[in-house]
Amino acid sequence: MRVAVVGKGGSGKTTTSAVVARTLARHGLSVVALDCDSNPNLGISLGVGDFETERLVGMREGLDEGGEEHAPGWDDLISRFGSDAPDGVRLAVVTRIDNPEPG
Amino acid sequence: MIADLEAGIGTLTRLGDQRVDAVLVVVEPTPKSIEVGQRAVVLAKEKQLGRIVVVASRIRGDADLATMEEHFPDVEIVAIPDDPAIVEADRKGVAPLDLAPEAPAVQALCNLARSLLPVPA
Amino acid sequence: MRIAFVGKGGVGKSAIAGTFCRALARRGDPVLAIDSDPLPGLAFSLGLEISDAPLPDEAIEERPEGERPRWQLATGLTAADAIDRYAAVAPDGVRFLQFGKHRGDTRSLFKSQVAFRQILRELPDDRWNVVGDLPGGTRQAFTGWGDYARTVLIVVEPTAKSLLTARRLSRLSLDEEHPRRVVAVANKVREEGDVELIARRTGLEVVGAVPWDEALAEAEEKMAAPIDLAPDSAAVQAVESLVDQMSEERIA
Repeated sequence: MRVAVVGKGGSGKTTTSAVVARTLARHGLSVVALDCDSNPNLGISLGVGDFETERLVGMREGLDEGGEEHAPGWDDLISRFGSDAPDGVRLAVVTRIDNPEPG
Repeated sequence: MIADLEAGIGTLTRLGDQRVDAVLVVVEPTPKSIEVGQRAVVLAKEKQLGRIVVVASRIRGDADLATMEEHFPDVEIVAIPDDPAIVEADRKGVAPLDLAPEAPAVQALCNLARSLLPVPA
Repeated sequence: MRIAFVGKGGVGKSAIAGTFCRALARRGDPVLAIDSDPLPGLAFSLGLEISDAPLPDEAIEERPEGERPRWQLATGLTAADAIDRYAAVAPDGVRFLQFGKHRGDTRSLFKSQVAFRQILRELPDDRWNVVGDLPGGTRQAFTGWGDYARTVLIVVEPTAKSLLTARRLSRLSLDEEHPRRVVAVANKVREEGDVELIARRTGLEVVGAVPWDEALAEAEEKMAAPIDLAPDSAAVQAVESLVDQMSEERIA
């Protein structure tokens, strides 16, 4: 199942994403929460803490630094660059945070 | 997968043929937010991106809800009440689900989530 | 002054920037307000009823074949002329320039953007105070839209997300190529310790503090200028103090 959450910044998009993600996880779904914002904050709303959220490495950043030869598969990406959030939700940030081009 | 897209509609315009099961368009009762929301709904319909739900956030009463209904006719609207618990969670940097699971806004969001669950065949 | 207001989406930049421009103009200083956000915001906060003020086609010409960018201000049209001729006029004499809304005509929007950037680059220092409102988040700050600014004011509210955004914006704004001052303005302040919290968690000097004030939200909903709708409100007065302080300190 894929759910996309959109809206103007500051409208409650990230809060909505976080509560929906964790609630679905509590109902038994295996959930990946993908933060596609060039200024990613989803970790805070999920409850991983602002320190941890700030430390998160974007997938693009991780890939660039890893000097990849072959494009990794989706599951591989999530397991390598994702981090654990409450209720078993897996959080992954798409963009490079130090170089916020549009995700 | 829950994807929290870039603020605005940029990413939505680039979502090619990828099928999504639901698009949650989060809108608060301010002119800018409504404008972005309306564009997002139009785009989502054009691209036939599955179920579209307008998540009307920070709703303080009937007037706010009426405003939403006026600007988003023919779209499913879920109202999330304005809730000091969310404000407090934001200030503290903690998950609303952890700080105040019984709060009205949190409950409304949980109900929304449950409505997204796949129905058993 | 050459300043840019930045901050997380929803923090209240446009209301503060618009009020700041009007208050600065009332001191007798010529103010050019610029908005690089395709969504309307600054125009309304200035007290303008139109929200779309792009440069007209006649102001922009195509450059010789092969040169990049493809567009430039029309020959003989200086940046200062462009403002005198084409910028919208808001109350208190504030001049206003915007990208223009994306109406589906990408080429026209792009032309307008190129000309806009050229104006900012070429505008001499001696007359106009330039006050800009960038869209929420970090993307435009990264792509150099705030380069004209000598001072970046990061609007911060006392929430974890806003603070995190502020730290990121601070890093993005501090750039050796464009040395500039980066400071914070606290918004939606409710409690005693909020300003100190913001200073501590961003590492920035907090040059102004705007209290939580319904008046700003009301003005936004009515698409009106806070300084017109609620001139005596605590928020407007706080912004006026900020203007006084920055003018006196000459820190911008």
